[in-house]
Amino acid sequence: MPAVLIAVASAATSCTPMRLNDLGHLLQVMGTFLGLSLFSLGGGNTLLTEYHHLSVEQYCWLRPSQFADIYALAEAAPGPSSMIVGLLGMGAGWPEGPGWALLSAYGAEIAILLPSTLLMVVACLSWNRLRDSPWRVAFERGLGPITLGILFAVGVKILKTADTNAAGVVVSLLVCVLMLRTRISPLWFMAVAGGLGVFGLINR
Amino acid sequence: MTESPAPGTTPSPPGLRQLFTGMLMVALSAFGGGLSAWSQRIIVEQRHWMSNEEFLTGLTVARLFPGPNQINMAVYVGTFFRGLPGALAALAGMLLVPFTLLMGVGLLYFQFHTLPALDRVLAGVVAAAAGMALSMGFKILDQYWKDPMALVLAAVTFVLMTFFHVRLVPLVLVAGPLAMAWYWPRPSHPPAPQGERR
Repeated sequence: MPAVLIAVASAATSCTPMRLNDLGHLLQVMGTFLGLSLFSLGGGNTLLTEYHHLSVEQYCWLRPSQFADIYALAEAAPGPSSMIVGLLGMGAGWPEGPGWALLSAYGAEIAILLPSTLLMVVACLSWNRLRDSPWRVAFERGLGPITLGILFAVGVKILKTADTNAAGVVVSLLVCVLMLRTRISPLWFMAVAGGLGVFGLINR
Repeated sequence: MTESPAPGTTPSPPGLRQLFTGMLMVALSAFGGGLSAWSQRIIVEQRHWMSNEEFLTGLTVARLFPGPNQINMAVYVGTFFRGLPGALAALAGMLLVPFTLLMGVGLLYFQFHTLPALDRVLAGVVAAAAGMALSMGFKILDQYWKDPMALVLAAVTFVLMTFFHVRLVPLVLVAGPLAMAWYWPRPSHPPAPQGERR
């Protein structure tokens, strides 16, 4: 990416890209996600504001609209939605070419999963002792409300990042209500909203 | 929990290859959603690897510990039978197809996202996805409704993150221990209202 473009991008989003070589960049991506892994409470969605901060505001991996796109893609794609980290890694490596982007994607996903997986293995093997421990009870009951607060913050953050017109916000609120009140597959909401986008009713 | 297989489970526990293919089946069946329902169907009802109770214990552990729930569940199933190698085999089975697919989608996205037509579709899809994100908090709000302290904690967390831009890691490191101290089980006093997760 030419230096001019980087300058423009950083002026727009106020992030500061680090000038690293390819391998350095990959290590930066992996180190970032290794450190976050154990903070993925409540199923992993609690990390979304942090992902946004790192990839958009701190490291310039993505523009805000790209972050919103990637979140939507990860939600629409089959499989655990936490695979968004793979897409973030891909965005980080994209300027260095598709090969590095893929490497970076796999590196990021492995990095985010490795620490929590190891902890989970330990937890499974010692569950009989943990189950009635006061630490377990306090952890579960104490972190629950914090997770609740984080999830609301995540919702607002994603809504802001989506940055659509008024019609788009109305659709967002409507989808939120439908998600809570009905059991309709969210894929339908995305398909219909995508159609509204094609006809220009929702834009950004 | 690994010592005695409950009645109804097979006498010979699945090997690494079976764990891999089993979780692959779960992932393939769950295209379009319902991952944990599908893993219950395949692991408990079809293959009889675990009793339902063992499976539900797994869900509890998977939700409690950090990491994506469905992925933690795969780790639980793998660890249950084969320890760490089993966990990795189950994880690989669960992620292989969806992640490969997502990588394809990602490459297409980064290559073509500047096309106006694609951008218009995505503008709509993003609005729907934002609605899904917004619903996450409301989904678990019910279980805290009768616990004023929980609501205060959640509100403070929300305000700190949204309006004061406090980052997640320091927030959890400070608020986590405080909340744990508040909810520390006290046998002499009646405990705070139980959540509905028991």
